[in-house]
Amino acid sequence: MALHEQLRQLDGAKELRGFQTEPAQMRAAAPGKIGELRLGFSVRHGRSVLHDLYRMAPLLVQQALYWDEAMPELPICAIISVGGGILQGDRYKIDIRLEEGACAQVNTQSANRIHRMDANYASQHQTVTLAPNAYLEYLPDFTIPYRGSRFISQTDIVIAGDATLLYGEMLMTGRKHHHADERFGLDLLSMAVSVRRPDGRKLFAEKILIEKDDVTAGHAAVMKGFDAFASIMCITPPDAAARIKARCGTNFPADAPRAISGVSRLPNGAGLVLRAAGVESYDVRREVRRFWKAVREEVRGRTLPEEFLWR
Amino acid sequence: MPRAKAKPEGQRAARGMAHLARLMQFADSTLPIGSFAFSNGLESALQTTVVSDTASLRDFVEVAMRQASRTDGVALLHAHRAAAVCDYATVLAADSELACRRVGEEQQTMTLRMGKKFAELALKISSFPMLERWLGDIRAEATPGCYPVGQAIAFAQLGADEAEAFVVHQYGVASMILSAALRLMRIDHLDTQRILFGALQHVQAEYGAVRGLSLGEMSVFAPVFDVLVAHHTTTHVRLFMN
Repeated sequence: MALHEQLRQLDGAKELRGFQTEPAQMRAAAPGKIGELRLGFSVRHGRSVLHDLYRMAPLLVQQALYWDEAMPELPICAIISVGGGILQGDRYKIDIRLEEGACAQVNTQSANRIHRMDANYASQHQTVTLAPNAYLEYLPDFTIPYRGSRFISQTDIVIAGDATLLYGEMLMTGRKHHHADERFGLDLLSMAVSVRRPDGRKLFAEKILIEKDDVTAGHAAVMKGFDAFASIMCITPPDAAARIKARCGTNFPADAPRAISGVSRLPNGAGLVLRAAGVESYDVRREVRRFWKAVREEVRGRTLPEEFLWR
Repeated sequence: MPRAKAKPEGQRAARGMAHLARLMQFADSTLPIGSFAFSNGLESALQTTVVSDTASLRDFVEVAMRQASRTDGVALLHAHRAAAVCDYATVLAADSELACRRVGEEQQTMTLRMGKKFAELALKISSFPMLERWLGDIRAEATPGCYPVGQAIAFAQLGADEAEAFVVHQYGVASMILSAALRLMRIDHLDTQRILFGALQHVQAEYGAVRGLSLGEMSVFAPVFDVLVAHHTTTHVRLFMN
């Protein structure tokens, strides 16, 4: 089975140079280790539907459901990882496309666990394309990189000028309650994103890179006292961005904060980004939800439903 | 990978003492390009007690230098290599790639204002043809005008090698924050000089870590610093512009 070109390019990343050994189990990128997902949403008969679905294990989406009581027109898809987490040698490709005027939400079934690795690495390439006036909330649950894990991801976004995308990652520093060495015990976490207009103009790019033995990881300006963080971008037109920013003040309490957060402007009028750090995942989730609510209310005039009791 | 070639002894002498003196001039923290107006997040770090004493200030400077090296530093090296061979298109590519990674309006203001002021100052004191073209493009809004790119163009023309340009850039990051620290916290100039002396020992290792990186490989990781950047835009009492 041929590997996709973008995944092949990721194989050449400098930070992966030390992790090129083959797993003793199934070889890297073998059939069964290349997960693929293609989701297409469009407006049919006046409502947004999932009109295109292609999936290959270990990635799975079953169907779109309309369960959001505050936004009943929103088709929602949960990405299910059949493998129970990301394993060494896994290669994932995810492609999400929204046609003109469509709306959708894509999330994940549970936390995304990147398992310990003694050979090779796991990689993921995503493309997210939004046509004019489309609206997508793509909010995967927390990623938990286990001790010794190696993960590289590249996300390429193409978005029309009047479309809105809420996308980001929430991460733990490891399984903090499992072992003292789990905090930043990962070997490699490399997550890059680029945002362009349909004409190719680049608006924003960022690469979060955490390598083993980063001496500054425990410094106060990086993650001292916190084990979870989030970077959630909202690519949206400038007027909507201004309204959202006006509503989202900085949260940085003076005494032993459970979580801190702030919203900053992205370059080139691309929109906003929420940065948050917290003690536990639920502390960060609360900050993300506050931002998410402001985005949905300002862009779509809809609010968020009540949080589920089990979250 | 382009590397600074060791210069023969005669060439070093020919480059002369004026070369070193001018590098020092451009590295001076009193160079009037507006750096005195920025604290690079330190003002918010103090208000939120992320920095509260000498030890935490040293850590803050270390993080800022590392983050700068892995973003600004990479763009500076690419722009320097391009300017040295008169490849203006690659200089502009480094400029726009760096600008599209700059999060936070005040962080954007810092690099763009200092970039423009630096070019204007350099052109007042000498002739820098590529810098003049670059400043024209900034005014025409054809390129963003990031400070490290301006430094790279000037240093390439001054005959400084890329390692020298990188050192001056790193020194500027540290000295800007420490100069702000003197005005913002209970610390004396002896402590700031001690921190600066210690911080500069990492410059060689940072250069080694980033000199082979492409523009697409610029990276960051400092979540609390990122929140501080946002924090400063919403505070009422502010002495500095970031």
